[in-house]
Amino acid sequence: MLNRPDTVFSEIGTQAIEQGLADPKLSAFYDHVMSIDCDDNPQQHLKPFLPHLSLCSDRMFNTAPPPIFYVGQDSCQRYLFGDDWASPEQPSSALRTPDPELELASAEGYRNALNGQPYYGYARASVSVNGISYEVAFERLIMAVRPTLQSQKRFCAFFGVIQDLHRKF
Amino acid sequence: MQQFFHRGPSTYVPEHVQPSASESGPNRIKLKASIDAANLTDMWDMILTLDYGVSDVKDLSFEKRDEFLNVMSLLLKAFDK
Repeated sequence: MLNRPDTVFSEIGTQAIEQGLADPKLSAFYDHVMSIDCDDNPQQHLKPFLPHLSLCSDRMFNTAPPPIFYVGQDSCQRYLFGDDWASPEQPSSALRTPDPELELASAEGYRNALNGQPYYGYARASVSVNGISYEVAFERLIMAVRPTLQSQKRFCAFFGVIQDLHRKF
Repeated sequence: MQQFFHRGPSTYVPEHVQPSASESGPNRIKLKASIDAANLTDMWDMILTLDYGVSDVKDLSFEKRDEFLNVMSLLLKAFDK
């Protein structure tokens, strides 16, 4: 019987995207961002993909990934964690993944992206949402982007595609 | 018999009237100033333009304006030192 760990975060590398092995929409996002040149407006490249993205800052504290500030209407995080989490009314603190274990396990990808290397990988993890446990498998691309080429600030754009999601009993 | 009303007719607010923008105005201005001070104006403009399709927050409906300002509040917290 296959003996596998509950949580796996594995970097595949962006060459897999270039070889056509990744989700088509995710691949298109990667192509658009990588094709931004010095005469371009990055926002025009982001626009068609914004509903699928989660955006977070470039601030990593200790082992935690950066806090999230925007969760697109069609993003996998909104699908997984719900509208109440994704769009809190009168937020009192920065937005973080509601499952602490998933939060910590995902940090490495953000660190790579902020170090200048787009991160593409596959993950399978158990997550707890409102007290219910799920097993979720997803591919994810994380890229550091500037809102304008002259901007002093960067943000991380997360594009996740859920491959499998089922409840654990 | 003469009746005295404690509240004049001008204070009556029909249920269908949405809250005045002046209620959220000072908070909005304060939040925008904080965003500008944190060098996050480009992020404000990007999300307002790309997701909400306007260049000025005043062009949003009350509901969308609240939603956008909540995102900007999260933005400020996410980049807090």
